[in-house]
Amino acid sequence: MTLAPTRGSKRRAIATPAVARRPLGFFLALPPIILILLFVGFPIVLAFAFSIGLTGGLNHVIASIGLNVHEAENWWGTPAAYIEVLSNSRILRDLSVTVGVTALSTVTVIFLALGIGLFLKLRGGRIARLLSGLAIIPLFIPVVIASWAIVTFYSGDGFVRSVFAQFGVEAPVWAFTMVAVVIGSVWTSLPFAVLMITSGLQAIPNAMIEAARDAGAGFLRIVVSILIPMAFVPILIAVTFTAIGVVGSFTVPYFTGPNAPNMLGVSMSNYFSAFNQPQQSVVMAFIVFVIASGIAAAYVWANFRSAKDQGKV
Amino acid sequence: MTLIEEIHSTTPIHRETDAGGLRGLRVRGLHKVLGGRTIIDNLDLTVRDGELVSLLGPSGCGKTTTLRMIAGFLAPDAGSIQVHDREVSDLGAEKRPSAMVFQNYALWPHMTVQNNVGFPLKLRRLGKKEIEQRVDAVLALVNLLHHKNSRPARISGGEQQRVALARALVQEPELLLLDEPLSNLDAKLRVKVREDIREIQQRLGITTLIVTHDQEEAISMSDRIAVMNAGKIEQFSRPAELYSRPETEFVATFIGSLNRIEGALVNGVIVPGDDVVGIRPEDVVFTLHASFDARPAVVERVVPHGHFHEIYLKRDDATLRAFASGLPPAPGDRGHASIQNALTFRQGRLVTTTRVTA
Amino acid sequence: MTMITKRARKSAARLNFSRPLSGLFCVLMVVFILGPLAWLGIRAFAESWTFPNLGPDGWTLRWWSVVLGDETLGRAVQNSLALAALTVLVSACICLPAAYAFARYEFWGRRTFLIGLFALNAFPKMGLYVTIASLFYALNLMSTVLGVLIVHVLGTVVFMTWIPAAAFAAVPRSLEEAARDAGASKLRVFFSVTFPLALPGILVAAVMSFLASFDEAQGSYLIGAPDIMTMPTQMYTLVLNYPNQVAAVFSILLAIPSVALLLAAHKHIVGGTLAEGFQIK
Repeated sequence: MTLAPTRGSKRRAIATPAVARRPLGFFLALPPIILILLFVGFPIVLAFAFSIGLTGGLNHVIASIGLNVHEAENWWGTPAAYIEVLSNSRILRDLSVTVGVTALSTVTVIFLALGIGLFLKLRGGRIARLLSGLAIIPLFIPVVIASWAIVTFYSGDGFVRSVFAQFGVEAPVWAFTMVAVVIGSVWTSLPFAVLMITSGLQAIPNAMIEAARDAGAGFLRIVVSILIPMAFVPILIAVTFTAIGVVGSFTVPYFTGPNAPNMLGVSMSNYFSAFNQPQQSVVMAFIVFVIASGIAAAYVWANFRSAKDQGKV
Repeated sequence: MTLIEEIHSTTPIHRETDAGGLRGLRVRGLHKVLGGRTIIDNLDLTVRDGELVSLLGPSGCGKTTTLRMIAGFLAPDAGSIQVHDREVSDLGAEKRPSAMVFQNYALWPHMTVQNNVGFPLKLRRLGKKEIEQRVDAVLALVNLLHHKNSRPARISGGEQQRVALARALVQEPELLLLDEPLSNLDAKLRVKVREDIREIQQRLGITTLIVTHDQEEAISMSDRIAVMNAGKIEQFSRPAELYSRPETEFVATFIGSLNRIEGALVNGVIVPGDDVVGIRPEDVVFTLHASFDARPAVVERVVPHGHFHEIYLKRDDATLRAFASGLPPAPGDRGHASIQNALTFRQGRLVTTTRVTA
Repeated sequence: MTMITKRARKSAARLNFSRPLSGLFCVLMVVFILGPLAWLGIRAFAESWTFPNLGPDGWTLRWWSVVLGDETLGRAVQNSLALAALTVLVSACICLPAAYAFARYEFWGRRTFLIGLFALNAFPKMGLYVTIASLFYALNLMSTVLGVLIVHVLGTVVFMTWIPAAAFAAVPRSLEEAARDAGASKLRVFFSVTFPLALPGILVAAVMSFLASFDEAQGSYLIGAPDIMTMPTQMYTLVLNYPNQVAAVFSILLAIPSVALLLAAHKHIVGGTLAEGFQIK
């Protein structure tokens, strides 16, 4: 600085604060947005039009290929396909199974992830680190393999039944039942939840816990009153991503679940490919979308709340 | 160890109870080894009832480790910790009768000021009404009633500090522990808050132990100061004595400023020797005129410090730093410098204090 | 000091966790997570297997030659690797500038854009592919490489935008300013200061994108099959038509790139770089 004062000050005069350049930021951010509008937003709008029976334009091809298509007589559409799907008792069973599996898997995943996260935060040590590392492994195993491995593990001649058979106990067959779907969903969702929750818990300063102990709080009290509220946003993010991932999943229930009733992701694919009823399939997609949007709203709210707590909004 | 005991008995500023029991804090033979290194070496410490004691030392001297063992966050390898005559070393932090104010305050961000302060009472299963009354009372004490419903992130550092203090006080602890309580405040606020803490502590008569690395803070607040170095207490005495009669060379150099010269002081002149002579800069007097014990000196450098200045004086026997007020001399000025007081250390320990009288 | 009091003190200084319970929890987690993988993995070297034995009847490498000698399977491996690499590249080109913009610029619609990206995640994958498929019919993109590539890139947009955005945002502005003060141009600052510091985050994003593409089965199957087969889609047919052991061999092959990436990026992923990316700022 002292060696080249003129140069330094000149440079600084030219430099403008980055915030001022609005248009550049906007244009840099545009490509992924366009990609998504084009190949997600647009198809979704198109699909929605198709689901309410508007079969003209780009929907013409699929409407002519598909069977059992409800066509609208007017420009605003018809709820006929929705009525058909929502009055189909088999699909309704699939829907309730989907909600049930999602709820059960999410609760289990969060419970396990919290257990691992708390173990790491409060106890620490090599075992805790090993455990959290272990929980990350499924992130790197393709879901197809994981599903197949789980089916083999819990099948009629699988590990669990083999072990119990050593003691002469007849264990249940879980492969191709909803139990296996829950196990598979938990297995595949665990890494993300563990990463989110452990990093959330690790970010809490130890002094916060010590202050609570100093005030007289025991283990349970610290978890409930200090750790969970302070890691609330990461926990909620883990909840939403787990729930959204499970509610729309296909591979896990397709491999590990029964033929019927199964989750809507599988029925969706069946109706599209096997039964060639694309409209019914799209209607199911929108039903799942509505559920997922409800969960997603919680996520957006949580992020907003955290920004507010930190005084950013 | 016996030395420290001696100092206890020679500085009776607080009442001690009957011979056997002692209210307040009594630490005996505290020992801690971490990673093969002795952090705390057989440490004894007594804080009398209602007394405010500072643990003062450079970073890494073990003062925070000692505090954390007393609070119950760290298990000592050996030793006993007694609060009001009750052995607490086998209790967890949540069961000890002490309350701590943390360095970064450790206020829970998801709770309001009121809930932060009320949390310890909630754990004691007090009624809602009683909690509110006691929280209000303690918030009034620290002058924060108007921020009752604010979140910690929304109030200033000094206010956060007071909330942390209120959260400790509301527990009516038998022992109050403060870990570097002022280190995160700016200089002006620091003076104000330390006076507040001292005032409240004296009003409530609460036994208090403060950890600090700031000598000014320790000297201005404490009844007694324990200067720590390398896991041991070097000296435990009243602030004034610590300054005028440091037991060791470490204390002398750590507290205040010191001209440290190897040699001996004979008739106001430094002569070669194996001892160490320590002279406070304010005990070096520079005059333009000669006097009987002064020796010629040349001003080498003058460093202004606001209301006084520091003068580097070159004498034929040594270079001395002096503090002086008034019109400063200029570098190159010639005059005379005399040594009024000196401390002599042999192998790190004080052996004599020399007073040169006119 | 006896051992007993020493231990009592240690546990007093920490919070109590029941030892046997946490031990049991650990063992169950190991079985739950590694059990299925090990059980399947052993099969790749197994002769035949009789229930309820805990090991196979004999060992063989026969299944490996079956898989490695199969041309369609080999092509699927090639397709998968090429497609995943291409996906990461395309996705990086599209998303990284946007990630930088989200981190460093305040512009109209920034928040909406961020939430919009998230909406992509909220729509069920199978439902999305079904709707995309109906569009691709109209655009003649069914069973084309471009069609499959688009589906794969879509699956990586969230990773490639959010994680690097958090990484860019974490680079202290003072470091950039110091470089500019030293006389570096804006572009120079980006490439010699910002980019290297954000690199771990970008690498994690690239690894996650590679895995997402490599793992993608539903969309590829719906859009690409039977003309363009990747390893995961091959798996669909494989498990139904071949003996168990062949699927096991194929699974191991399919897991190799993932595990290699796991070992390479493990530190950063566990270190919170991934988690950091999922909080909208």
